[in-house]
Amino acid sequence: MSLLELPSNRTEGWRWSDLSALPEIVARQPAGTVPEALPWIGCAREGPRLVFIDGKLAADQSNLGTIEIGSVQANPADHALARLVGSEGWKLKLGQDHAPQGLVQIVHVTTGGADHLPAEIELDVDAQASVVETYIGEGWANRLTSIRLSRGARLMLNRRLLSSAGYVSLNDHAVIGEGASLIVATLSAGGADTRMDGQLTLTGDAAFAEFGGALLARGTQRHDANLAVRHEAVGGMSRQVWRSVADDKATCSVAARVEVARGAQKTDGEQSLKGLLLSRTATINAKPELEIFADDVKCAHGATVGELNRDALFYLASRGVAPQEAKALLTQAFVADAIDRIGEEEVRDAFHENAMAWLGGR
Amino acid sequence: MLRIENLHAEIDGKQILNGLTLSVGASEVHAIMGPNGAGKSTLGYVLGGRPGYEVTSGSVVFDGKDLLDMAPDERAAAGLFLGFQYPVEIPGVSNVQFLRTALNAQRRARGEAEISAGDFLRLARAQGEALGVSMDMMKRNVNVGFSGGEKKRNEMVQMGLIDPRLAVLDETDSGLDIDALRIVGDGINRIMRKPDKAVLLITHYQRLLDIVEPDFVHVLAEGRIVRSGGPELAHQLEREGYGAIAA
Repeated sequence: MSLLELPSNRTEGWRWSDLSALPEIVARQPAGTVPEALPWIGCAREGPRLVFIDGKLAADQSNLGTIEIGSVQANPADHALARLVGSEGWKLKLGQDHAPQGLVQIVHVTTGGADHLPAEIELDVDAQASVVETYIGEGWANRLTSIRLSRGARLMLNRRLLSSAGYVSLNDHAVIGEGASLIVATLSAGGADTRMDGQLTLTGDAAFAEFGGALLARGTQRHDANLAVRHEAVGGMSRQVWRSVADDKATCSVAARVEVARGAQKTDGEQSLKGLLLSRTATINAKPELEIFADDVKCAHGATVGELNRDALFYLASRGVAPQEAKALLTQAFVADAIDRIGEEEVRDAFHENAMAWLGGR
Repeated sequence: MLRIENLHAEIDGKQILNGLTLSVGASEVHAIMGPNGAGKSTLGYVLGGRPGYEVTSGSVVFDGKDLLDMAPDERAAAGLFLGFQYPVEIPGVSNVQFLRTALNAQRRARGEAEISAGDFLRLARAQGEALGVSMDMMKRNVNVGFSGGEKKRNEMVQMGLIDPRLAVLDETDSGLDIDALRIVGDGINRIMRKPDKAVLLITHYQRLLDIVEPDFVHVLAEGRIVRSGGPELAHQLEREGYGAIAA
């Protein structure tokens, strides 16, 4: 890549992001150093396991199963970062009634430079899949994922952004058919800045979409989520549950929009954007938006920002819990709403552990 | 065990405790009674170390150590238990998690090994059963949706598990019906009536003292102890009111 064109903060969708570190990362050579132990989640239903090192499949450490590597159809639209991903990536395509195949785990290791990778997930009628992606290392991991769910298909996509430094940018485009269900839960609990973009469209009647997560930031970290859920058919339901935690001079920003098209009656949309400031110098931005062109819909949205409850901190202290651990416990309770939405127990527990580790509790 | 000397304390610049002096020895139960606004709850919070309660002069020595010099969690690890008049609700944290975290924090602070999950659950079940707190309740979030009586019984479960040296119980009898009062009172006797332990019972009423019989009764008024006596003093207060005795 010779030229990196980045949007400026003057563009509304980018006003809370800081991309200034990216040109320098792009110029760096990846070190190629991969940790010996990768963060696999032990689970009863083992499925395919993929390791990408600097955006390239590490075939010797991977078990592809039903996943293919090759040309991927993912449309970056005009997104400044997504358009860098290229066309070679991974594909998960499951045919009609495909039985659950076990948990798909993908670990992305970035070793100092920038890597870009597209992906495509396509589930045919009534197929089901559960995918966990974990990002580790440092550098810039840039991804674009295209998701298409046919009638009655179900996808759980859970992500852990645990990179120690640098930047992780994820962009998702999803089309959700009749009665299909997409649940995306993300945990940002590393040292890198992150940026998430999501465009979910419910094209079939009674479709379900959930997009949420927990963003944990300290130091001068920035997490930035920009999401739009568009209801185009009748009886759709969507949930956007985000919990942001910012300490020191960090910033967490969530802009979440619900669009209800003309005719998308009986839509049930809910947004809950909550922020927790662990210090007075941190920043939380929450921007819920509703755009409704149908008259028989139910859309609830709430945005709050607060601090830890002092009474609860003293209550814990009075029972012998030291301040640091008490803070971690209450903060974990705050983000639990978002993580608890993960269906598989092993995955949920692993995410809770990662959050607790970040918080410095035990 | 506990020696409070000439304690003065204020909240937001307002003087609440005005030279309170009190000694509590091992195996003793002391009741502190007094009218509203006398400083009873403040005494509890000052002993517990609640932020915002500022000690302006005086001293508190607990087992030979300067209590006021310790952080609230250190006081707990040293063996002090504060029973809350209004136990705090903590959404998102289960009772079991809360208790295990507390118990292990204290054990670590004392250089002891952490308790295993199995041992902890056995202990928690036993304490819960004795106080009418089911395992189902133990799995619920701390005090969330609990009735007043359930919250107080839950405090006693915590006390039973933590097994403190000194319990300062702030109106543990408020909000209890007769049956719950009996359960809580029996709990205090069972957990704390031991030769190496002591209780400071802050209360308005005689009824808890019928179950947990105090060795000493003190009347607190305007931030200091104005009268001390044996259990008969509580009966006299019940008959004559604070006005006559505190005056």
